[in-house]
Amino acid sequence: MSDSILTVLKFCLLALLYVFLMRVVWIVARELRGSASTAAAPAVPLPAPAATGAGRASKRREWRLVVVAPETERGRSYPVEGDVTIGRGGGCAVPLTFDTFVSQVHARAFDRDGTLWVEDAGSTNGTLVNSKRIGEPVKLRKGDRVQIGETVLEAQR
Amino acid sequence: MTAAVSTFARSRRRSELSLGLLVIVVTVGGYVLVALANGPKLPPNVAILLAWVFGLYLVAHLAVRRFAPAADGTLLPIAAMLNGLGFVMIARLAGGGKDYAEQARVQSVWVAIAIVVFVVTLIVVRDVRIFARYRYIALLLGLVFMLLPLAPGIGQSRGGGRLWIGLGPLSFEPSEIAKVLLVAFFAAYLADKRELLTQGRIRIGRWFVPSPRDLGPLLLAWGVALLVLAYEQDIGTSLLFFGVFATMLYMTTRRSAYLVGTVVLLVIGGLVAYKLFGHVRVRVENWTNPWPNASGSGRQPIQSWYAFGSGGIAGTGLGLGQPWQVPLASTDYMFTSIGEELGLVGSVGVIALFMLFVGSAYRIAVDTARPFTKLFAAGIATIIGLQSFLIIGGVTRVIPLTGISLPFVSYGGSSLVANFALLAILLRISDDSVRAEIPSRAR
Repeated sequence: MSDSILTVLKFCLLALLYVFLMRVVWIVARELRGSASTAAAPAVPLPAPAATGAGRASKRREWRLVVVAPETERGRSYPVEGDVTIGRGGGCAVPLTFDTFVSQVHARAFDRDGTLWVEDAGSTNGTLVNSKRIGEPVKLRKGDRVQIGETVLEAQR
Repeated sequence: MTAAVSTFARSRRRSELSLGLLVIVVTVGGYVLVALANGPKLPPNVAILLAWVFGLYLVAHLAVRRFAPAADGTLLPIAAMLNGLGFVMIARLAGGGKDYAEQARVQSVWVAIAIVVFVVTLIVVRDVRIFARYRYIALLLGLVFMLLPLAPGIGQSRGGGRLWIGLGPLSFEPSEIAKVLLVAFFAAYLADKRELLTQGRIRIGRWFVPSPRDLGPLLLAWGVALLVLAYEQDIGTSLLFFGVFATMLYMTTRRSAYLVGTVVLLVIGGLVAYKLFGHVRVRVENWTNPWPNASGSGRQPIQSWYAFGSGGIAGTGLGLGQPWQVPLASTDYMFTSIGEELGLVGSVGVIALFMLFVGSAYRIAVDTARPFTKLFAAGIATIIGLQSFLIIGGVTRVIPLTGISLPFVSYGGSSLVANFALLAILLRISDDSVRAEIPSRAR
């Protein structure tokens, strides 16, 4: 086979290799752009509790549990309206799905006449309030920290 | 699966399939080019090769579709492209000697075995946390695998290193498997102890340092691994382990003191090894100036430079160079063979493939939420990245040569099997994180 044809074929092969590289880059770039727009999406639901709290000015002293650790989840905020469950199960009002040390239904928190209480729900690893393990329902004050698995929640209102 | 996940998964699998078709075209095209360089006729086994490549890719792709449908869509095609280019080069070397002809046959079987291992890993490992649960068994098995070549009877020495075991006609490099297990152990251990290692329990002056109790098992595993490797005289693997564990320690704690400490240890270790071991001195001499040994140990690096030089910008063309002139052209010096016949353009393409692979792997680590899986994925990304840097840097004279295989490309069954297992684990982690992530985003 003549050299010139082989040279042309060689360049075709190299071109195909670079087409492959370009396609990979294109696919990754598209995904990154896509995830940037979906990542922006939770910003809408997240501040929602604050917004509803502000909307109901009459009931403005509503308790919230805010994630302070782990760092990756910091800032997630959950309103405590009446009686809520905390756990790894998706059905919980405070779903800590990211933490493997959390039991499916780990603890419950409830608001009784403006006082926030937390109670362990028979979890495997226990519930700690300000680093002390609790055996019975405990009153929380503003700024108290509840540790569940590896996640730390702060009581805020 | 929710609708959001399945749409996303479908688009990823479509990308994987379309990229795969390109891989098949390049692999078979390369093989045909090699044959055309020797004569105008097509080799009779092109159809077999086409069926083989197509079949294997299809099996791997369908397995991902079935068992990890939402996993990253670029990793498998990149690995397949590297593997395909490697196979073309090994098959091309078959014209350069009997040994290489045998290697091409063996490699085609090993690729199939590696794909089987890939599929089995995808099926068996439904949750990567199984590695965290059995972390100490992983550690033990890892150490046993590393010690195996020293066992009398089955251990074999080759080219100054005792790192193979022979079982009948098959030979195997168990440190490749140990690599997977030890990274799993380190990820699990570091994920557990990350607070203790970051903050430290003992106070010395202004600093808190981790207590020996927390660092102990880590240093022990590390020390034993490195000692064994030094005894087996396998510098490449020692360096790889050392680098990967230091990187993982840094990623866990974000304390640069660990990196500084590692560099200091590395320099001390390097100096000691230089004084103690003759083969280390030879490597350094061949790096700084191989010409005095041009007919002896320096022949290999010098031939390698000639090969790169004769390749030039676009290479001699497949089948038109003389890559067999470099000893070990199908293993350590695989990158040289590619550089000679596909030139700067082709070798930069190969480096780009590795960069994209490592980039996608780190992206999986960033996207996953759990500490163990994050560290595991990052550890795997680091292994592939560092290993390819060590050998590509070695043959291009950026660093002294340390004999280690070029992941997915080089001839060698154990390396292929281990790397495809790592790939399967990465895809599993990727699939899990997408399924965990998207529903919570939609909420």
